[in-house]
Amino acid sequence: MGLLRSYIVKTTQLLWEFIKQFKWRYIIGMIVLLITSFISSMIPKITGYVTDSINDRMPASVTNKYLLMLVAATVAVFVLRFTWRYFLVGSNRYLECYLREKLFAHMQTLPASFYDNNKTGDLIAYAINDIQAIRRVFGFGFTSILDGVVVNTISIMIMVRTISPMLTLMALAPAPIIVLVIYFLRKKIRERFGMVQKAFAEMSGKVQESISGIRVIKAFAQEEEEVEDFLKYNQVRVDTQMSLTRVSAVLGPVTQLTFGISTVLFIIYGGGLVAKGVISLGDYVAFSSYIMVIMGPIVSIGRIIDVWQRGIASIQRLDRIFCQSSEKDAENALATVSLFGLNRQVEDSQPVEKLRGHIVIRDLTFAYPGTDKIVLHDINLEIKEGETLGILGRTGSGKTTLVNLLLRLYEVEDGHIFIGGRDINHIPLKVLRENIGYVPQDNFLFSTTIKDNIQFFKPIYSDSQIEDAAKMAGIYDEIISFPEGFNTVVGERGVTLSGGQKQRISIARAIIKDPSILILDDSLSAVDTKTEQRILENLKNVLKGRTGIVISHRVSVVRYCDHIIFLDEGRIIERGTHEELMRLRGAYYNLYTSQIEQAEDNLLLQARG
Amino acid sequence: MEYRMDNEYVLRRPKKALFIRLLGYFKPYLPLLALNILFAFLINGAALIKPYIIKHVIDNYLALKIYAPDVFMRMGLLYLAVVLAGCALTYSQTYILTYIGQKIMYDMRKQLFTHIQNMSMKFFDRNSSGRILTRVTNDVEALNEIFSGVLVNSVKDIIMILGIIATMFALDASLALISMGSIPLIVLVTFIYRKAARKNFLRMKMLIGRINGFLAENISGMKLVRIFHREKEKLQEFQKLDKEYFDTSLREVILNSLGRPIIEVINTLIIAVMIWYASGRITGGHLEIGVLYAFITYIRQFFAPINEIAEFYTSIQSALISAERIFDVLDTRELSEDMKTGKHVERIRGEIEFKNVWFAYDDENWVLKDVSFKIEPGETVAFVGATGSGKSTIISLMARFYDIQKGKILIDGVDIREYNLKDLRRQIAVVMQDVFLFSGDIKSNIRLRNSSITDEDIMRAAKLVCADRFIESLPNKYDEEVKERGCTFSAGQRQLISFARAVAFDPAVFVLDEATANIDTETEMAIQQAMANISGGRTTIIIAHRLSTIRNADKIIVIDKGRIKEIGTHDELIKKGGLYRQLYEKQLVYQCIA
Repeated sequence: MGLLRSYIVKTTQLLWEFIKQFKWRYIIGMIVLLITSFISSMIPKITGYVTDSINDRMPASVTNKYLLMLVAATVAVFVLRFTWRYFLVGSNRYLECYLREKLFAHMQTLPASFYDNNKTGDLIAYAINDIQAIRRVFGFGFTSILDGVVVNTISIMIMVRTISPMLTLMALAPAPIIVLVIYFLRKKIRERFGMVQKAFAEMSGKVQESISGIRVIKAFAQEEEEVEDFLKYNQVRVDTQMSLTRVSAVLGPVTQLTFGISTVLFIIYGGGLVAKGVISLGDYVAFSSYIMVIMGPIVSIGRIIDVWQRGIASIQRLDRIFCQSSEKDAENALATVSLFGLNRQVEDSQPVEKLRGHIVIRDLTFAYPGTDKIVLHDINLEIKEGETLGILGRTGSGKTTLVNLLLRLYEVEDGHIFIGGRDINHIPLKVLRENIGYVPQDNFLFSTTIKDNIQFFKPIYSDSQIEDAAKMAGIYDEIISFPEGFNTVVGERGVTLSGGQKQRISIARAIIKDPSILILDDSLSAVDTKTEQRILENLKNVLKGRTGIVISHRVSVVRYCDHIIFLDEGRIIERGTHEELMRLRGAYYNLYTSQIEQAEDNLLLQARG
Repeated sequence: MEYRMDNEYVLRRPKKALFIRLLGYFKPYLPLLALNILFAFLINGAALIKPYIIKHVIDNYLALKIYAPDVFMRMGLLYLAVVLAGCALTYSQTYILTYIGQKIMYDMRKQLFTHIQNMSMKFFDRNSSGRILTRVTNDVEALNEIFSGVLVNSVKDIIMILGIIATMFALDASLALISMGSIPLIVLVTFIYRKAARKNFLRMKMLIGRINGFLAENISGMKLVRIFHREKEKLQEFQKLDKEYFDTSLREVILNSLGRPIIEVINTLIIAVMIWYASGRITGGHLEIGVLYAFITYIRQFFAPINEIAEFYTSIQSALISAERIFDVLDTRELSEDMKTGKHVERIRGEIEFKNVWFAYDDENWVLKDVSFKIEPGETVAFVGATGSGKSTIISLMARFYDIQKGKILIDGVDIREYNLKDLRRQIAVVMQDVFLFSGDIKSNIRLRNSSITDEDIMRAAKLVCADRFIESLPNKYDEEVKERGCTFSAGQRQLISFARAVAFDPAVFVLDEATANIDTETEMAIQQAMANISGGRTTIIIAHRLSTIRNADKIIVIDKGRIKEIGTHDELIKKGGLYRQLYEKQLVYQCIA
């Protein structure tokens, strides 16, 4: 247990904080729950009194009194149970959302390397499935235990004291076996359910692949064979489900049997007691109700253990994330946000200081954290304010890494990178990033309006600023040609944009900040030659008065830059202007000749048409 | 992934028709279904007998204080037998029902998948792969509820309700009448509760979907958010979504804490009324107390079946939506390809002729305009043209991936529409620009699922295309695992594997849609060599950017904006001084700089 606790320290701490904050809800809830359990364990006894009063031919007024008690108790249990459920179970819904927001906030502060090592799908599963599993521990798990313990203790006490100890013992005899059987059944069910899910996922994968590869399948006329293969996966889906059902279908009958056996013992033995006058008929009736009441919690012990185990596993998983240390700047950015939508909006409105776009890189060698493969060797570089640097190289040559370091997505030691004369590590991250306009490689847009994508979720720009940015990026005309203009939603649930259009919106997003440094990270790879030319034309305007860094594996994109460096396996192998590099007849030259001829063919053909 | 909110979806087809069509899938399993309904009668019978046994014990022995241990033993064992029978029947019923449901889903998936496999390329152009995937997987799964339970169970439930009512009247008519008073109330509350719960449940599912989508998008875009310093705004956006989810989630707690417990209160009230009414008659000796006991048990048994029926009504709505989507796919017949009929052909000679072919993907914008040419068997022909000029389209048409609107395509002098599609495509192997590899190993990617291609054939093909060198250098050689889409291999290696695949199928016509510029020189040399190795005796068609690679072709066809501009050999076209010559000279200039 000690070992376990050390694993889950951070999450437990969060849970405690939450419980402390909501302690009154929990305390009231628990008190009400105790009262409810107490009253509900009285109900069978009252039923017994009713029975006896009728059977012993007591006056109607006595029967009516017990009947009223019965109705009153039922109504009270109804109201009280609602109350504790609202307090206890409701709080756990709070807990679920609270944990999820905490988790998301925490994920936002984690360094880029965290996302290199974790799959998106897994992270989503943490935020949804694992958090729900934890909620169930506190909701179902916790309340069932509390309720079950109280109800069963009181019921057994009443049974032993007022009815018959022997009868009680007999009724409870099958319970331990039942608990064990159900526990093992559940374990098996969980295993087999995992197999069902796996079979379903594999079948989905199969379908997905045969749709993606449909052209190959059709080209080689493999349709029938493909169907044959799919049917195997389809059959596995059926087989795994049936194997699950073989086990899971036992659960219901086992429960029935539990109640059944208790009732049988009760008929055989209890009947004798009534007939001999040891207990009354009312006791007999009350007893049969108590069996039902007691067996409920016993049957669900298996489920509680199940929920508990899953919850612990989930807490451990979450803790792995919560234990990752955050980056300070992001933590600060989130410091003003309190959870549960109660935003203490302290607007940090003071303007961010301007950086000068003079970049110096000195003897920079870099390997990604946790790896020993050096991706940048001895980089020395200077970009003067207002100049544009072109970086050329194949995939994996280190181009993007260089940009990641300039944005300080990964840490370097002091004394290697200087911007505006200051060591990059001494510039507040906020200042650094506000001053760099970044256009990413993959043209990632969020599925929201174009306007929101340009202002990027912070409504601090006027409409005319947004329009200007769009104009400068050369996308304005296309945006206003959409029926909804800047309010057009992009992505899955909206308009599908071409690579070139996304590209230019990304550029608008970068330049609306009026940055002193603009970085284009291989962002033109997705567009055709014609669009590329148009964007390059625009860029000349955009880059006026700014320092620019343009990364590409295409020569045509970087040829007009003031300086060009050619990266290969993390080293600068050539540097100079286009003309200088052409004269050099090295790597740059070779790439140029092989790429340009193809482009020129296309241009020529298009021009002739 | 797609998310949907069922209460916003409007069915286009009549509900009844959809439902009846779904019922049709039960047909092969009617005997099993009948057996199940028989079981349902028996299970219900067992449930009704149990309270009656106790009633019997109470009235005949306990109320009269008669001590009869052997009777108690007999009754106890009888009760046990009934319970055991009920357990066995319930188990069998669950098992059979699951089996029927699974079998029907199997059948439906088979039908859907086969149908989709036989769709023409147009279908795949029009429907995203995500949507098609959802039809085969999740939409079929959504019908499970209907097939494996709800339908049969509701029959069982109706029998149960009728059984309870009948038993009650048999025991005591006036008490039965009082009990009946609770039915409308229970039905009403149950239906209202179920409907609200279902609606809330769907809303919760939708919101979880949105949270899922939000997280997926934001984790992918996390780098951008960080660079642009928008962590706070994004967190607040997430909180808004999470709050919406919380409200719905809390409503679930409230609904659950009201629905079932209210039924409990109603039951108790009715029972109190009944006891109050019955106590006088019992005192007067007109009614036995055991009857009262049985009635109390029966009243409590009303809720479960009514609840299940209500569940059925609400769940059928969302099942019908999935059903409609599935039938929409199954009913798109006009895009399906006929793989069965048509002229069978063992091997074609490889003569290809386009006669005044006009083609548009969308029936509007002509991609090919009046294209005519003829390729003789065994010839090597090159197509030259800009991106989007229609080169790749011509190749798609040869393998009849699309049907043309005007003109004729003849292979060996026969209209390609007369051939059996399967035979035709087996004769034409295309190596595409964007190579697709399946997960599996190298062998399975070369032979696909054609078992007539032996391991020796595979190795021979790999050798022929110069892929053997890199394959032999892999740890597991030909059994090396290929992961999803072949991501562990370089573009060039993927190209070579797909090359070997085409060769292994030994086609009469070989088409090479030239690889992009990203392939390194070494691979390119290998591909050049491979081309020379395999073109002997086959009709070979090359699409090329780099003119130097096609100089030796028997025929060069220059195409521009969907029209054929020039046809001839390299020398003829150079002499002619047209578009080809211009292109060639332009490239020559660059080579001269070198």
